[in-house]
Amino acid sequence: MKLRLPAGWWGVVPSLTLLAIFVLYPLLQVMQISSLKWDGVAAGESIGFGNYQRLFSDPDLGRSLITTLTLAAFVLPIFVVLAAIIAIELEGTRFERLIKAIMFLPGLWTVGASAIGWYTLYAPDYGILATITNGALALPWGDQGWAALTLVGAFTIWQNIGYAVLVVSAGLKGIPYETLEAARVDGANESQIRWRIVLPLLRPSLTFLAVIGGLYALQSYTAVFLLTRGGPFGSTKVLGYFLYETAFERFEFGYGAALSIFALVVAFTFAALQARALRGSEQ
Amino acid sequence: MKTATLSGTWLGKIVVTIVLVFVLLPILWLAYSAFLPADAVLQTSGIPTGFTLENFAKLPFDTLIRPLLLSLVVSSLVAVLQLTVSLPAAYAIRSGAKLLPLYLLLLSIPAELMLIPLYGLLKDLQLLNNPLALVFPFIANPFIVFLLYSGIAKLPWTFIEAARLDGANNLQIIISVIAPLLRPEMTAAAVLGFAAHWNLVLYPKVVLDNPMWWTVQVALTDMLRKDPNAWGKLGAAAMLTSLPILLLYIFFESRVTKTLEGGLK
Repeated sequence: MKLRLPAGWWGVVPSLTLLAIFVLYPLLQVMQISSLKWDGVAAGESIGFGNYQRLFSDPDLGRSLITTLTLAAFVLPIFVVLAAIIAIELEGTRFERLIKAIMFLPGLWTVGASAIGWYTLYAPDYGILATITNGALALPWGDQGWAALTLVGAFTIWQNIGYAVLVVSAGLKGIPYETLEAARVDGANESQIRWRIVLPLLRPSLTFLAVIGGLYALQSYTAVFLLTRGGPFGSTKVLGYFLYETAFERFEFGYGAALSIFALVVAFTFAALQARALRGSEQ
Repeated sequence: MKTATLSGTWLGKIVVTIVLVFVLLPILWLAYSAFLPADAVLQTSGIPTGFTLENFAKLPFDTLIRPLLLSLVVSSLVAVLQLTVSLPAAYAIRSGAKLLPLYLLLLSIPAELMLIPLYGLLKDLQLLNNPLALVFPFIANPFIVFLLYSGIAKLPWTFIEAARLDGANNLQIIISVIAPLLRPEMTAAAVLGFAAHWNLVLYPKVVLDNPMWWTVQVALTDMLRKDPNAWGKLGAAAMLTSLPILLLYIFFESRVTKTLEGGLK
């Protein structure tokens, strides 16, 4: 049998080669690292499955998972509901493009500069809001865990709300005009149209948002690093930050590698569930 | 196609207004604080006032301007290389290479999971503290491939078949048929690829600890850490380093948002 290659097949070779070197090979190598007790500098010492045993008895990891889930549980509903309200409200209005463009900007804005803006605006001690209100608007994220987690969640929403609005907007633009006209002819009022027709038709978009919103919450480690460094008292150590800290501040590379593998399994499970949810919502 | 029109509500208008203020507030405050004199922070009540350009004049070269220039060069280079490698890959997938699921799988690997694996690899390759570490691992990007593939999938395939009948080979088709038709998507991919690389924080901090190779984010993080109450200086640094993003966005905003919106349909 002759193997028929598609036209231009060689086009994937550079891309696949680089992905094999910089993604697949490191992921295999990290499995080997995960069997070591290694500080990242001197030669590592093999401890078999020691790091994995530790995974299941580490209270800090449990706490980090709970923090990550708490953050997702609080960010997700706000994220999805805000995006739906904004996209529906803007649809077809004069300012639609301008407002959507402004809302997308924080997602690209130099993230270190965003952190500076947020810090000097909202810091409980030196922040401008705390200063001009004499402390009335000082969110106490220096010493209260809930306030710090709120700050990280708010920053995550700030960075991603524009993309979320685009997602719902794309869904809205896919609804044919005739569907709504038919409902109006049948005597449906505007709020019935909104709740009974538009919202159910937006389900695939909203499901997609819930999924990527979950990923954003998992990936909010940059916001954590920039604004709270996991504090106060470890209250904002989301999984990604916990991983970073284990390897690069406590220099436990072996355990960090095991954590990476564990998180990869969680991420792939999540991706598989997301694929199912998306397929389900399209039926 | 005419699409849905809905009438607005009061609740909707209030939500849009609040979110718009919430989105703009940090950016407007940065633009305002950049021109505040150094003693503004000492004002005990009311909104601090004053105007000076001194904050910009005093921005340090070694710990801000050089990192800014390095980031500009490296992130631009990465964006160009990403397009160069991803366009042929997207074309091959559209032509029938059944690799889309693999790319989608790779897309779902969260970035932070790659920190330790990449650190191990770069150590073996002796690329730690080498600026090439900022380039090589980012050239092949599944998201860019996917974005360009979605664009190519929308092109009428008859164009490509016509070019083939005219005797064009695949490289010629990519360069002179696909690339010109795909300009909006390629622009969007370049802007998003640039911004994603530009905004890396932990990775450059971890693989390059020599201040010679600080990127712009590492420099900004360090400045905020050392001087958290220097509103003027921080604001000026933040505005200057956001300028490249702002300019890119002003020029290419509609291509970015339309490509993303179109890709979601």
